[in-house]
Amino acid sequence: MKDDVIVCRCEEVTLGEIKEAIEAGARTVTDVKRRTRAGMGLCQGKSCEIIVQRQLCKQLNLSSEEAHPARDRAPVRPISFGVLGDEYND
Amino acid sequence: MIKYDAVIVGGGVIGSCISYYLTEAGLKVALVEKGDIASGTTSSCDGNILISDKKPGFDTDLAAVSQNLFEELDQKLDYEYDYTKKGSLYLIESQEEWSVAEQFVKEQTANGYAMRMLDYDQVHRDEPLLADDIIGGIEIETDAAVYPMAFTYSLIDKACKNGLKLYNYNSVEDIILDTKGQIESVLLSGGEKIRTTNVINAAGVWAPEIGQMVGLDIPIQPRQGQILVAERTRQVGKRKIVEFGYMMAKFGSKNYKRDIHPILEKYGIAFVFEPTAADNFLIGSSRQFVNFDNRISIEVMKGLAARAIRFFPSMKDINVIRAYAGLRPYVNDHFPIVSAVENVPGFYIAAGHEGDGIGLAPVTGKLVEHLIIGNDINIPLDLDFAVQKLSFNRFF
Repeated sequence: MKDDVIVCRCEEVTLGEIKEAIEAGARTVTDVKRRTRAGMGLCQGKSCEIIVQRQLCKQLNLSSEEAHPARDRAPVRPISFGVLGDEYND
Repeated sequence: MIKYDAVIVGGGVIGSCISYYLTEAGLKVALVEKGDIASGTTSSCDGNILISDKKPGFDTDLAAVSQNLFEELDQKLDYEYDYTKKGSLYLIESQEEWSVAEQFVKEQTANGYAMRMLDYDQVHRDEPLLADDIIGGIEIETDAAVYPMAFTYSLIDKACKNGLKLYNYNSVEDIILDTKGQIESVLLSGGEKIRTTNVINAAGVWAPEIGQMVGLDIPIQPRQGQILVAERTRQVGKRKIVEFGYMMAKFGSKNYKRDIHPILEKYGIAFVFEPTAADNFLIGSSRQFVNFDNRISIEVMKGLAARAIRFFPSMKDINVIRAYAGLRPYVNDHFPIVSAVENVPGFYIAAGHEGDGIGLAPVTGKLVEHLIIGNDINIPLDLDFAVQKLSFNRFF
C-alpha cells in the first residue's frame, strides 16, 4: 500500500502519517489514534482500526493483542443527545 | 555513564513542558514515561487555557501568566497543535447568579482582565441557539484552547531537538539517594540506572507513588471527569461556553443550589461546551472521586447530555459518538504543587493541577526552571510569593 492512501476516512489520515506516528513512539492502536486522530471520527475506528493494528504489528513486530489491547467504549453506535439526555432532562 | 542535570518523571503535558523549558535553558535532561507521551490525564481532557474559572487574585494572575506564555510558545514550537483564542462565555440562569457574576467581573476588570457582562439581548444575539430563558452572560476575551495531545508532542519534539533523552514505555522502579540523602540516580523497571542530581516528579495522579520512593506523602487524589464527544456538525456555539452556576460555590455563594436533577448533583455535573478544531464539540463536565477507575458510566453520560440540552435545546438531534473519562490530580486547596522538597535535596514536585494542567503547564515549566536553576525567569509574578503559595510545605 502506498503512503498516501487514506486509512482513516473520517479524519483523513494517511498510511504515511500512521507510519510516522509509530516511528515517533506509538505502540498501540490508541497511541496512534492520539497522535494522528485515526479512529476519532464518526465511525470510531470501525474501518481503520484493523489496518492500524496490522501496521503496528508489521513495523514493531508485535502480536495483535499487544498492538490493540481491548478497551470498553460507549456508545457502541452514535446516539443523539436527545435520546441520551431524556431521563434527566427536567 | 552519562549524568543528567535532571530526570523528569511523567510524560504528560506538565513533564513535557518542564522538559521543554529546562532543555531551552541548556540543561541535559531525561524524561521517563511509563506509556506513550500524553497517554494519561493529558489524553482525556479538553485542552483549556482559561483565566475565567479562576478566583480573583493569585489564582487568576498565575493562569494569566501561563496564558501569555502560550503566545510565546506558539512562535517557538514546530509541530501544529491547533492553538485557538476564541475567548469564553459563562451563562447566567438566575438573578442571584447575575449579582455574583457582576461582582466577579467588577473585581477582575479592576485587576486589568478583559471581561464584560452581556445582557439578555447581547448574549442571545451572540449565541442564537441558546435556550430562551438564559438571562445573560460573561464574556472573557483571552481564554484559549489547544489540542492537548498535539501540544504535548510538540513540546517533546522541540525538547528532543534540544537534546532531551526520552525513555517512553519505561517506568521508574526506584529513586536512589546517596549517603547524604541527596538524589543519586533513577532506576528504571528494565534495570537501567540513570545518574542525576535532580528528579522532577510530574506524574500527576501517580505522583504519590513516585513520592513514596523517597518517603514522601504527596496529597494528590485522582478525581474522575467524563466528557462526551459530538459528531462533526454545524456550528452550535462560537467558543467555549460554561454555566456560571458551576462557579457559584467557588466565588463565595456556598449555599447556592442549582435547580437540577439530583443525579446531576450526585455526579458533580456542570455544562461545559468546547468547540474543537476538528469541527465537532466536546461536552463536559463531571467530578467524582472513584479512585483510579477511569471507565465511563452511562448514568454520567445521560446527565451530561441532559445538562447540554438544557442550555442548547437544538443539540438534541446531534449525535454523541464517544465518551471518555480522565483522572484529574486533585489537591484540596485547588492549587498545584510546584516545589522543591526540603528533606530530599534534588527532589521536586510539579503535580496536582486537577483540571488546569494544560493551561498551567507553561507557568509550571517556568517555575521549575526557576527552582532548579535559580535564574530570573522573567515572568510578571511575585516569584517568592508564588513559590510559597505552591510549596509542598503548605500541607505541614
